[in-house]
Amino acid sequence: MGSMRRTYQTAAMSALAIGLAGMAVADTYTIGISNTVQGNGWREEMVCAMKAQALVSGKVESLNIAHRNTDAAGQLEDIRNLIEAGVDAIVVNPANPEGINSAIKEATDKGIVVVAVDQAVTEPSAYVLSNDQEEYAYLGAKWLFEQIGGQGDVVYMRGAAGASADDDRDKGFNRALEEFPDVKIVHEVFTGWQQDQGKQQILDFLATGIPVDGVWTSGIDNVIVDAFVESDVPLVPIVGADNAGFVGQLSSVEGLEGAAVTNPGSVGGAGVTLALRILEGQPPEDRTVLVAPDLWANTTEDGRQKIEAGQNPNLDPEWPVSVSIPDWTTYTMDEIIACKGPGE
Amino acid sequence: MKSVMRNGWIIGLLALLGLLLVATKVIQPNFGQSGLESLSRAALPFAFAAAAQVIVVVAGGIDLSIASMMAVASVTAAVMMDGGAVPAGLTVLVVLCLGALMGAINGSLIVLTRVPDIVVTLAMLFVWEGVALLILRAPGGGSAEWLRNIIVGGVAIPGLPPSATGWIPRSLLVLVICLAVIWVPLRRSRLGLAIYAIGSDQLAAFRSGVAVGRTRIAAYSVAGLFAAMGGLSLTMSTGIGEPIPGPYLLASVAAVVLGGVVLGGGRGGLLGPIIAVFVLRLVRMDLTLLSVDPNVTTIIEGSIMVVVVMIGGLLAVRSRRR
Repeated sequence: MGSMRRTYQTAAMSALAIGLAGMAVADTYTIGISNTVQGNGWREEMVCAMKAQALVSGKVESLNIAHRNTDAAGQLEDIRNLIEAGVDAIVVNPANPEGINSAIKEATDKGIVVVAVDQAVTEPSAYVLSNDQEEYAYLGAKWLFEQIGGQGDVVYMRGAAGASADDDRDKGFNRALEEFPDVKIVHEVFTGWQQDQGKQQILDFLATGIPVDGVWTSGIDNVIVDAFVESDVPLVPIVGADNAGFVGQLSSVEGLEGAAVTNPGSVGGAGVTLALRILEGQPPEDRTVLVAPDLWANTTEDGRQKIEAGQNPNLDPEWPVSVSIPDWTTYTMDEIIACKGPGE
Repeated sequence: MKSVMRNGWIIGLLALLGLLLVATKVIQPNFGQSGLESLSRAALPFAFAAAAQVIVVVAGGIDLSIASMMAVASVTAAVMMDGGAVPAGLTVLVVLCLGALMGAINGSLIVLTRVPDIVVTLAMLFVWEGVALLILRAPGGGSAEWLRNIIVGGVAIPGLPPSATGWIPRSLLVLVICLAVIWVPLRRSRLGLAIYAIGSDQLAAFRSGVAVGRTRIAAYSVAGLFAAMGGLSLTMSTGIGEPIPGPYLLASVAAVVLGGVVLGGGRGGLLGPIIAVFVLRLVRMDLTLLSVDPNVTTIIEGSIMVVVVMIGGLLAVRSRRR
């Protein structure tokens, strides 16, 4: 045991020494990234934001990216591998709030800065920069219920069953639902945050002919509008995320009343910035920084202006249009679309 | 001749594992005790999933519901132990029984309905996934601290200096014990022989007096037991239960193939697939250490598997010609 503690002490000391040396000379850090969902537009934008921010900061020598579809146990493996790789900081989009705490603790014990982005973790030694998922759902649901006059039948298209972000959003949705006792959920499905699945589900539902007054989606949005238009069903108010495709539809589709709730994937870039600030000895006052969502409705002047400003035909339709976060990210639009990290 | 071949495959896999360990040390000179420990902890759920798949494949079947059964076991354990509601020891016992029961249900459905294994277990993949979500709708629950600590750190044997055994990860010891306690007696029992027999030639086994149906149910039941161990290992490492199954199904098939178990049934052991699990985890670790583009990583992992199995197949053909 004694020898082990010595090893840790030596490791901590040398980490400190390396940190100090790094500060004295030009700052060049290695940052590890861990993400457990691959092939989803939002997550891809997050990873590209991390790469672009690392590149433009000029302080990151290399990024070490563990990016695959896996569970919390797989993320534990990835984080431990990043620790083995000797990174200075780890920016992680956690699979869930509790499951990866043990590996985060191991990292911070070795002097590695850990920043959780998008979703929070309960490990107190980590920093959290997260989108407020409960508020995200509440904002959109409240707008929708008001839009349909406080009563009617709503289709509730959730994310992935068993995902913590979906569970948080469900809490926010139900909070709004309690405020509108005359709103009824006629259909509740899990899209799995998959475009094809969501579209099939809404087509199946529309085929039944059951009347519907509004649709709330957990970010699988533009295909829902497509389905209404293609099936020649009168459009109802639809809530989505600030994905490029849906934001485009909000201004171009005739007769569509809708609202986009922002959920910036660029929070990944902000996480890199936060990690670098901490490495340079400027930790934030609070260990948890929440990014509050915003609602852009095409039924108000203010909302229309934000939607117009957010238009970006260069983006993949699945990418959120809020590609940057003021004060947190410094890359340009072209740099995030190029998706190049340091040394690429 | 056959035993030489089987051992040859295992020796080859061990050599590959050794090579990869050397490569890891070259890539990351600091690789040592902590690296071995994280490797072994990461391998734990994969190893149990592979063990579950081995026994079913040897019996001439395939179980696509392994990852879902692991999820059911994991969430059950996490819900039972949450806030210390049920003692951890009792939880482990209940979950192991539950695993064996789930496996027995899989096996019984196959035997009674005569629907092919792949169809039944594909259906059960969704059934068990739904059951896991009913038990716990989002990641949560808890785990007893002492249970979690079983797989943390190095082995300490009283009377021996820590340096002698400290480098052996406890999680590796747990894995070896859990697998050996089931596998060794099974392999030497009549049931073990019968499992190999029905996998090799069902008709011949039947004519020699093997109760084919019962043997098959038993094989699936043991697979369920291993899957429950895998689920428990997930709860032990994460401290919670996750209702969405992890990537263990395809990984288990990969380990079985790489481990030299014949997919047609009747041939192969447990050691090869377990070494294969470590090989695959080590490849993943090396690719992370080298910071290879994550989108290329999966291609490399897949290619390595195909190449190794192809080389193995070629060697087998050549040795048969001689």
